[in-house]
Amino acid sequence: MTFLNAWAVGFAAVAPVIVLLYLLKLKRRPVSVSTLLFWQRVLQENRRRALFQRLRQLFSLLLHLLIFALILGALLRPTLDQQVREGASAVIILDARARMQATEPDGQTRFARARAAAAGVARQASSMRQMAVIGLDAGPTVVSPFTDDEKALRESLDKVPVTDASGDLAKALRLAEDLLSARKGERRIIVFTDRTPPATEAATSTPIDYVDVGTPRDNVAITRFATRPLLASPQTSEVLLEVANFGRAPVKADVELAFDGRLLDVKPLNLEPGARSVQVFPTVPRPSNNSRGWLTAKLNTTDALTADNVAYAVLPTQPPRRVLLVTKGNWFLEKLLAADQSLAFELLTPDAFTPDLATKFDAVLLDNCLPENFDMAKAAGNFLFLKQTPFNTPEPALDQPLLSDIDSQHPALRLVNLQNITFLHAASLAVPKMEGWTWQAPIRSFEHPIMITGTRQGATQRVAALALDVTDSDLPLRIAFPLLISNTLHWLAGEESAPVLSRRAGEALPLAAGETAFDEPQSPWKTAAAPSPHSERHDLFEPLINGFYQIQSRDGTRWLAVNTFSEEDSDLRGEHSTATTAPSFPMISLARFAGWPIWQYLAASALALLVLEWWLFHRRRTE
Amino acid sequence: MPGTTQISSNSKQGITIAVRENPTHFTPALETITPLLFDSVFLSKLEQLYLLSKKLFRGAHRAERRSRQIGSSLEFADYRNYTSGDDLRSIDWNIYGRLDRLFVKLFEQEQDLDISFLLDASASMRWTPEGSDRLSKFDQARRITASLAYIGLANLDRVNVHYFASRLEEDLGLCRGKSHFHKVLDFLRDAPILEGETRLKPSLRSFAQRMKRRGLVFVISDLFDPDGCEEALALLRYHQFEVHVIQVLDPAELRPTSTGDLRLVESESGQAYEVTATEALLRRYHAEIDGFLEKTASFCVEKGISYAQATTAVPFEDLVLRVLRDGRMIQ
Repeated sequence: MTFLNAWAVGFAAVAPVIVLLYLLKLKRRPVSVSTLLFWQRVLQENRRRALFQRLRQLFSLLLHLLIFALILGALLRPTLDQQVREGASAVIILDARARMQATEPDGQTRFARARAAAAGVARQASSMRQMAVIGLDAGPTVVSPFTDDEKALRESLDKVPVTDASGDLAKALRLAEDLLSARKGERRIIVFTDRTPPATEAATSTPIDYVDVGTPRDNVAITRFATRPLLASPQTSEVLLEVANFGRAPVKADVELAFDGRLLDVKPLNLEPGARSVQVFPTVPRPSNNSRGWLTAKLNTTDALTADNVAYAVLPTQPPRRVLLVTKGNWFLEKLLAADQSLAFELLTPDAFTPDLATKFDAVLLDNCLPENFDMAKAAGNFLFLKQTPFNTPEPALDQPLLSDIDSQHPALRLVNLQNITFLHAASLAVPKMEGWTWQAPIRSFEHPIMITGTRQGATQRVAALALDVTDSDLPLRIAFPLLISNTLHWLAGEESAPVLSRRAGEALPLAAGETAFDEPQSPWKTAAAPSPHSERHDLFEPLINGFYQIQSRDGTRWLAVNTFSEEDSDLRGEHSTATTAPSFPMISLARFAGWPIWQYLAASALALLVLEWWLFHRRRTE
Repeated sequence: MPGTTQISSNSKQGITIAVRENPTHFTPALETITPLLFDSVFLSKLEQLYLLSKKLFRGAHRAERRSRQIGSSLEFADYRNYTSGDDLRSIDWNIYGRLDRLFVKLFEQEQDLDISFLLDASASMRWTPEGSDRLSKFDQARRITASLAYIGLANLDRVNVHYFASRLEEDLGLCRGKSHFHKVLDFLRDAPILEGETRLKPSLRSFAQRMKRRGLVFVISDLFDPDGCEEALALLRYHQFEVHVIQVLDPAELRPTSTGDLRLVESESGQAYEVTATEALLRRYHAEIDGFLEKTASFCVEKGISYAQATTAVPFEDLVLRVLRDGRMIQ
């Protein structure tokens, strides 16, 4: 045992003063009475209790000396030698996942309960018991490193925001173990969450105390909400919505679909316990140029968790790509480009074409024509060459080439089926060897490349060359023709990867160069305060709150929809619902009282005795 | 003193003894300052009252109270045979007409009654609780004595007032007639300050021995006698007095509220007691004094002694006109 405040022993000199005060005669208040006749009779009985009276005085003195001794002991701050050498460490994990937003029957959220309980534990921090705080949302974050400053710990707990993200508790436990691994002495992890995981899932070598702040609750949630453009009708989109009932009672609710905040459709739902309902809205119009393309689904129901009653989605808002067709006349190509709503093409004869025009279009299609003195190394713009290409060799053309190798993973060949198509001729091509370019041959006829694609490194310039003449084959009559041309033109225009329209809360989104994301979400019911702060992380954007996020780039503004979409977080029934007889964990009491410093026990005892003494004094049991 | 121009008063020792003409200015505040001040309306009410005596006593003078003596009042008492020398005006001629014999009508003699007030003037009667603006028990006793004495005087009874504490002290002397009311008031106003404890037995024994004529006796005291009051009261009854007991008390004596570490100082002896007063101790005290009062009242009822309890908290007029009437002391 070591006393950290040895100077406090000087207070022991006060003890004789207490005894001296007891030896002093009590000054009584004089009260005049008419007669002592009745008082004498009453006091005669009291005199019989004189022995008890003397014992009472002695008891009172001993009680006061004991209280003084306890206070003195607390001031000395006794500490076990082992704790002095090694100390104790604890990591507080505060669960801030979406499910912690659920409200309990008393109206408090689980997160508020957890934070209050965690603050209670943080108050026990001392130099002998340092604590760290980890916040758990999409992933674990060290909110406060190991410190003995209980005020700083509580302030850091107050700064942990509850999120709509879904995360993994095991990662937080691993991080806590890593933090504790370098520390000596007693180690402990205290998790404030709403559901204690099975012991097998959270097996750590460090003792874990779970403070379970949740009770089983019913909940209805939107678990999926997605959009996709219809290929057959590019003006419309298809919307998929899935609603699940995670409650123990059937639920009747309406789901409202709104477009840019305006009501679009309402569907009534009847959900049995544990059931799911999948709804498809097939005729959602594509957004116009001045609309944001916000699509929201809202469940009109009251349940424990409101965050998953609203879902967000963004409709695709890609403008048509500009294509220049240079041809002496190709009926198939003209009709194909005119039919594709995602493309806007202009027609030009080879005589009128100059390479400078290429920069004004997303892609240039040169059909069986090549400008004189065309230098690929100097040309700017994206080109698709048909038959006459800069990569033609003097070798004779191939007769009825057989397509031996087709790279179906290439964006230009997505869904393209070139089997059983007859080609009469194919120009002989050679893959160029130009510095700063990356070349591929996704279609080959054995050693002869039939299609060559190239991308300039560090730039967005792309080139594709096809050794075929569409009129020399039955390709225009096949479904592969529009897919091949359209895929290739979109790839050239830089559309091989469609922009990301939605993400789950907590999922990281890599931002392209020049892109900036707004940190604060917006919705039809909540507009971000202007000016909204920009994300400082230009490479990675990790939204934690559901809503629409604005991403700005040189090309303009696009929107990202963020949702929870986590059945684990929406299912609030927990294990308690199936195991109602499970023993209640004494974790709160353990977490709050176990491991107090000795001086706190002494101070608490002194306080309890003081209250007892006060109570006894007012009942004249002590003096 | 403001407003005393309407009062025929003679102040002495700070106490005004007067009969006030205008009752509208008779306020409780004034009553507190001048305990022996009575207004004319109250006195006229008192004149309607009569001090009750169950026994018939021989009086000294003719008055308005029945006695065993045969005399010349209007109240018929008996007949007797005519003897020579009798007044012819007393012969009942109707009887003579029917019986042919001479009978003389006899009438009751109405006499006066000796009424004595034994007023406890011990220190305990002068005690008032700290911070209280109520009258002391002694002032209350003096007012009761004055009121009852006025009733007696108005009925032509002979009234005397005695002070006592540990022994019987001076007395007023017999007074008769309303004209002597001022004499009674003067005597009450000049009450002596007596030392010592209340000792009823020697005081009442002295009184019984000193009084040659029996009559009505009012004992007005707090009865706080360490030896008890029963023997003393029984002694008066033994000497053929009719006894009325008015026990004057202060509410603070009945229900003390002070708690804590106290040093109780008795007003009579100056004796001090140290006590730690708790709620439990106060409850025991309440039980003790309640037992004392109940025992005294039971004794009086058992011995045919009229008993009334008069606390200083009860309004005086209410006390005289209701409490004493309920105690069968006045009618």
